[in-house]
Amino acid sequence: MRYVFYALLGMGLIIPSIACARPVSYPSGWTAMLMNDGDKNTAHIHYSPTAKMSVGYKFEYWRDKDFTLNAVQMNNLLKRWNERDSQANLYLKSGLGVVHTFDDKKDGETTVAGFTGVAADWENRHFFTSYENRYTEVGKIDNFYQQSARVGWAPYEGDYGDLHTWLMLQVEHMPEADNKFTVTPLIRLFKDVHLLEAGMNNHGEILFNYVFRY
Amino acid sequence: MKKLTLLPLAIILSFAPPAYAGHGEYGHAPLAEQTVRSGDVHVSVNGLVCDFCARALEKVFGKEEAVKAIDVNLDTKIITVNFNEGQTLNDEKLTQLITDAGYNVEGIHRGE
Repeated sequence: MRYVFYALLGMGLIIPSIACARPVSYPSGWTAMLMNDGDKNTAHIHYSPTAKMSVGYKFEYWRDKDFTLNAVQMNNLLKRWNERDSQANLYLKSGLGVVHTFDDKKDGETTVAGFTGVAADWENRHFFTSYENRYTEVGKIDNFYQQSARVGWAPYEGDYGDLHTWLMLQVEHMPEADNKFTVTPLIRLFKDVHLLEAGMNNHGEILFNYVFRY
Repeated sequence: MKKLTLLPLAIILSFAPPAYAGHGEYGHAPLAEQTVRSGDVHVSVNGLVCDFCARALEKVFGKEEAVKAIDVNLDTKIITVNFNEGQTLNDEKLTQLITDAGYNVEGIHRGE
């Protein structure tokens, strides 16, 4: 099964034209993301040569697992459905890099790591829904699966350039974690090139995300 | 759990059609209009749901020498392209720019 995982990971990394979020920006667009939640701190910057794929660098610090991940991540837009009043997307997101653990029992081990998963979303100007999963393999140190879903509602329709506000509810499932399910109500504020999200989950942990597109 | 994760991935990878393909009833605009002439062009676009979409189109059209300005109306889903004097883009080029940005053209209307 491990070989199948690496095969899929490789496909995700080397065939961006397979169908050639948003994981992908507009052509020549850069995106920088800082994401923080109860499990980890993440920084991700990516460049989109086309509207169908992006490639970038991702850093993750998993606090409980006590390791850092440095990876090259590639996101592919597998399919987009453009309708008059809505848009839906399906992405493949994969990364390959190295993990360094700070756990004393593992003696500061560094090993190859990879992850892959799919993300899907649908939105119009009032409602938003998304789903994402990911399987991560960290050499012989660890492997884990996680998935999350979101629903959102915009209380008003802002014009282009206005401050856009979304109220969202995020549910995360991580089977191996002590807290298998995490529910996070959050607010998303979006204006110009800035997107900010803030919330607190049912375990009292803070979510804070910032995205900048240019 | 690994099987549960990988199986959908394998299916998606195996059957993934080209992105933007199959947009239901909406097709591309006719490409008959190839004559170069001045005047605003109004393009009805599918998939415009947020500021990010509008910004994407602004960026893409901003790189075109012939384009003076564009206005994106998220309510009507219409973008209005204003050209520099004596310049324009034909329908094929307009459609290509919008498609490359990730959206679909429903129709193109040229003003007088």
